Formats: sequence, C-alpha cells, structure tokens
Amino acid sequence: MAKIKKSARPETAIPTASMSDIAFLLLLFFMVSTVFVSEKGIPVRMPKAKSIEKIPRNHSATIYVNKNGTISIDDFVVSIPDVKYVMQKKLAEDFNVLTCFRTDKDTNYGIMSDILNQLREAQTLRVYFEAKLER
Amino acid sequence: MLRRKRKDLGGIPTASMSDVAFLLLVFFLSTTKFDIKKGLGIVLPAASDGTQKKVKLKDENLTKIWIDQDGNITMKSGDVERAVPMIELQKIINKIVTENPDMVISLKTDRKSKYQYMVKALDKLQAAGAEKISLSTN
Repeated sequence: MAKIKKSARPETAIPTASMSDIAFLLLLFFMVSTVFVSEKGIPVRMPKAKSIEKIPRNHSATIYVNKNGTISIDDFVVSIPDVKYVMQKKLAEDFNVLTCFRTDKDTNYGIMSDILNQLREAQTLRVYFEAKLER
Repeated sequence: MLRRKRKDLGGIPTASMSDVAFLLLVFFLSTTKFDIKKGLGIVLPAASDGTQKKVKLKDENLTKIWIDQDGNITMKSGDVERAVPMIELQKIINKIVTENPDMVISLKTDRKSKYQYMVKALDKLQAAGAEKISLSTN
C-alpha cells in the first residue's frame, strides 16, 4: 500500500516590514483629521431629530444653553440682553456667520425664544438647532 | 606615527521607528474627536424696526400649530381646530403643503414648553417638506 505523504505545511508569517508604513499612514490620517476643540462649552443633552443636515463648521458660532437657562458663548456665560452684542461682534468678524444652538432638550422654550429675538436684532439670521440623529 | 581611528558612520537607529509611530498613532487615535455638527436649519426674519409694512396673510395660506407646555399639539387650518398627535403631524403637514405650496406654517410654542418638543415638531415640519415656517411664542 502506497503511503500518502503529507506535504510539509508552509510556514505562515505575517510580514512586518511594511508595518511601520501602515502605522505612518494611519498616523498621517489622524494628524490631518484631528481638530482640537477650542471651547469646552457646558454639558447639554441634545434633542433628537431625523431630517438633520450637516452644519458648515468654519462659519458657525455655537451658543450653549443648558436646562437651567445658562447661556454660554465661547466659554463665556452671557445674559440674554448681551447675546445681541456678542453676535453683532461675531457678524462683524465673519459676514457669513451662522448660529448653532446646543441646547438641552429640557430647556424652557421661553429662553430660546428670547435668544432668537436677540439674534434677529443682531441680524444674524441663519440659525441651526443642533440635534442628534434619531435612529 | 599615530594612526587615526576609523570613524563610525553615524546613523539614526530605525529599529524603534515603528514604536514611535505607534505611540503617536495611539495619541492621535485617542485625542481625535470627530466634531461633525448636524442640526435643523432655519432662517429667521429680520427684526422689524417699524418701517416695514406688515403683510397680512390670507387665512387659507396659514396653518397654525400650537405646542403647549406638555407637548400636546393643536393645529388650526382654516376654521378647523383639532388636536394632532406628534406621530401624525408629518403626514398631515405633508398633505397640506403638497396641496398648497404657499402655505405658511406658524409654529407657536408655549414659553414653558420644553425645547425638545419644538425641535421634534420642527423636524416633522421640515421632513414633510414645509419651507415657510415661522417660529413664535406666546
């Protein structure tokens, strides 16, 4: 009876020569895509919505409003009547400024309405209500 | 006679290069936060300074939606006033807007109502294709 000889298995090895290439590639990707967030803001729980669109980042000014009604712009707590002056300054710096609200979902709408009126007076009329995508 | 020693050729050790690369990689991996903002957009009307003429809207071109402080929605279209559940809002508005593209939707939210109710309603209105939306409060 003929013996069936098993062929010797080829040794498997992961090639490591190009590992650093991969590492550098990933590194470059993350270095380029990293944006260091300049403002801390205040913690808010945003509402959820479905028909949301992307907000252009380079022109946006973010207003944080938490559920106690604290308003924060650029990490400064501002009162409602001051929103107008802050936003007028922003408009002077960037003509295409758009306001982006990061408001807690349990905030009273009255505060939001007051801020919106301030924005109207400041002539910063493009507004986004930031929301999370509802799945 | 003094004989000079042969100089060692200087070289940068490359053995630890991948270690350095991975270290940096881990740093950027852990600090990267993809800050993609998404939200509902709307353009506010300019503040009236008293010089503009007020345009009176015809009743048939105006649909009023009220949100009370508990998030209940009442809708008034023409002379009909009725309560509408949030789930059906999109369907109803979609029907109204396709029938009359000039329809202005006035979204009036109670001052004591929660922001999320307004966002939810605005979301439904925009999903329904309403383009003329007005935000107000009492």
